[in-house]
Amino acid sequence: MENDEEPEADDDFEDEETSREIVAPGEILSEDLNNYSPGRGTILNKKGTKIISVLVGLKQIKGRYINVIPLNGFYTAHPGDKVIAIVVDKNPVKYRCDINAKYPGILKPKNTIKVNKKRRRGKYRDKPDTEMYEIGDVLVAKVISADRLNDPELTTVGKYLGKRTDGIIIQIDPPKVPRVIGRSGSMIKQLKKHTNCSIFVTQNGRIWLKGPSIENERLAIEAIYKIEREAHTQGLTDRIEEFIKSEKEKRGIE
Amino acid sequence: MTLLIQDEYPEKLFRDDGKRLDGRDPFELRPIKMEVDVIKNADGSAYIEWGNNKIFASVYGPREVHPHHLAKPDRGILRVFYRMATFSVFDRKRPAPGRREKEISMIISDCLEPVLFLELYPGTSFEIFIEVVDADGGTRCASTTVAALALADAGVPMRSLVTSCAVGKIGGQLVTDLSGIEDKAGEADLPTAITWFNDELSLLQFDGQISQSELEKCLDMAKDALDKIYSMQLDALKRKYIKIQEDAENQGGATEE
Repeated sequence: MENDEEPEADDDFEDEETSREIVAPGEILSEDLNNYSPGRGTILNKKGTKIISVLVGLKQIKGRYINVIPLNGFYTAHPGDKVIAIVVDKNPVKYRCDINAKYPGILKPKNTIKVNKKRRRGKYRDKPDTEMYEIGDVLVAKVISADRLNDPELTTVGKYLGKRTDGIIIQIDPPKVPRVIGRSGSMIKQLKKHTNCSIFVTQNGRIWLKGPSIENERLAIEAIYKIEREAHTQGLTDRIEEFIKSEKEKRGIE
Repeated sequence: MTLLIQDEYPEKLFRDDGKRLDGRDPFELRPIKMEVDVIKNADGSAYIEWGNNKIFASVYGPREVHPHHLAKPDRGILRVFYRMATFSVFDRKRPAPGRREKEISMIISDCLEPVLFLELYPGTSFEIFIEVVDADGGTRCASTTVAALALADAGVPMRSLVTSCAVGKIGGQLVTDLSGIEDKAGEADLPTAITWFNDELSLLQFDGQISQSELEKCLDMAKDALDKIYSMQLDALKRKYIKIQEDAENQGGATEE
């Protein structure tokens, strides 16, 4: 659990096609429907003649599609996302977890135990129950199913998944998560390298981190908040590197 | 013992030089200042100063509905809580929500609902809390304007913003943006709101007496005023991000040198 490989994510913020133009809901992005189609964060107007934005964000033209990269918003669970969940309720059948989404995450006991362990050990021979985790526990979990009708279902079986007992968890705006990871993990690698912290970024905007000392952790947290604040600016990776280096010098951190 | 103070209205609502009592031209708006992201713990928030009105709005959601029986299984709901502070008006306002506050909460909610994609969030609610700290006429219009800003700041997908402004008739003359005293002493008051994705009226209330031709002229005047306020709304929304962009670029330039 020490050295976490980050999932490769597309950093739309750093994409060359993403303009620095900020758009607001209802603003017309294009009236040229022969060459462009509405993509993410956009809709057609009622008559079908204009592409308009539905979010506050950055305008991006990618091939045929016009997208809007959101600058603020909330997390919606998708299957395959890794999330940091906090157990808020449990009964003999399931755990309910706060995953920072509009619906609580459901964790069933069958998704907390590996299949082969269930057979081998006498303790698990009976039906699995909810004795494994307590209310208030922090879990790194994966969403296995999520749709509009049912609550998202989680699992804690898998690489890097399970209960965390150490480290610090901070919360950022979920749309800024790709920026913290960077294009093919460039930003997160840099953060880890310069602050000596192990950092685990999850899709719901919660970040787990642990460093050799409290000073390193504080510096990493400040850098992450700076990334969140300046996500829509250019040349952020270099600026963050400079920030960390100068702060390390100022504070005397190795 | 109750002390009764008779409300005193001026006889003339126009000065001798043809301007209104606060020095405005008939079609002039009061000075408007808007700001977003003023409340840290809210998902989205906004603040407006519209003449002497001072209003905060905060948005939470989508989140679970309490009480649970209000939740709709096929769509989300929008709840608006419009409240006036006890010190916001001349006589102390009783803090309990009254008939007027419930009505205004309802009309703001009805006015904003068409721009939201509520069908995408079944079983949840968006909640808007509007706190009027200082009131001087036209708070329902200012509240609608600021609530739309707060929703956009929270990252809620919207078809467009909503803008609102009042027009009316005072002293026999049609005017834009009535202040508190003009609202009480004038002849007619016509709050309007517009949804920009289809250019349709989302709110139209009417109080007083006015002829049909005057009504049509009023709506034209309202459109002009709404256009002006809309550009201020867009500016307020973008300013927050543009400022960070400029600061960052200046900082980058300074270190390069």
